[in-house]
Amino acid sequence: MRITLLLFTLFAFSLPANAGMFSTIDDRANQISAQLEGNNSYHAHLARELANVAVEEKGQHDVTAALEFIRMAEDHAAQAGGSK
Amino acid sequence: MIKRMIVATAALSLAACAGGHSNIDIDELSEARAAVAASKAAGAERCAPKLQAQAVASLYWAAHEIQEGGHATEETELTERAISKANAARTQAKVNCAPKAAPKVVEIIKLSGVNFANNSADLTPESIAILDGAVATLKRRADIKVEVAAHTSSRGAAAYNLSLSRSRAASVMDYLVSHGIAADRLTSKGYGETQLIADESTRAGEAQNRRVELRVMN
Repeated sequence: MRITLLLFTLFAFSLPANAGMFSTIDDRANQISAQLEGNNSYHAHLARELANVAVEEKGQHDVTAALEFIRMAEDHAAQAGGSK
Repeated sequence: MIKRMIVATAALSLAACAGGHSNIDIDELSEARAAVAASKAAGAERCAPKLQAQAVASLYWAAHEIQEGGHATEETELTERAISKANAARTQAKVNCAPKAAPKVVEIIKLSGVNFANNSADLTPESIAILDGAVATLKRRADIKVEVAAHTSSRGAAAYNLSLSRSRAASVMDYLVSHGIAADRLTSKGYGETQLIADESTRAGEAQNRRVELRVMN
């Protein structure tokens, strides 16, 4: 049973890494930054701030929080309407 | 047994992924929430967007840390940051959104002798020398901004006179711009027959009312 649990745990933790989640947060944050270049609206600033929080949370290994913040950042980036 | 554990672990993992940690409607954030709402009401999203965004992001981050628990220092720092950024946003919004005072006329430069063909905005040849003098004045006094104001006499319909005066003001402005005066220093406005300065019982009086001025604005 221990071996099964160990294998399952390894498998469960390998999924996010395999899916590229750990690098994707940075990529998505960079994409937001590029997409909003020169845009100084409220939603653009908020998108950048939330993306920074996502990267910070990812750095602290809280992937759930990082994903939540990057989704919020993307929502606000969409409302900001792109680069200006 | 193993199957049950696997199902339970998977269910817990899914629940953790689905659950958001950024609910800001919690008692610990009441002060920060109020500060952000006040800055938003003051127009900070439009007039202080960066500070307002920092306040809101800090609020959400603080909410996450509080609900996660175990980060007392971070929770306090983020909550205080949200409040201070919101207060700064509100102050900046008051400054940036304050209505600007309308410019006032501080001096009138009369362009006596600037005339147009009858019922037209075409400058007469005699007007050119006077306008060249105005160009020289505006180049010498490079810090002033002026409104080119044109007036008509009251002969004819008021609406026609207003339209004619607008065209004449625009014509003079075009001349000044085409001779090197920056367009952002100039505006043009036609006043029609609304600002008569002479009795129109004589032709001389009518001629006096047909005039162009440069109004120096502060």
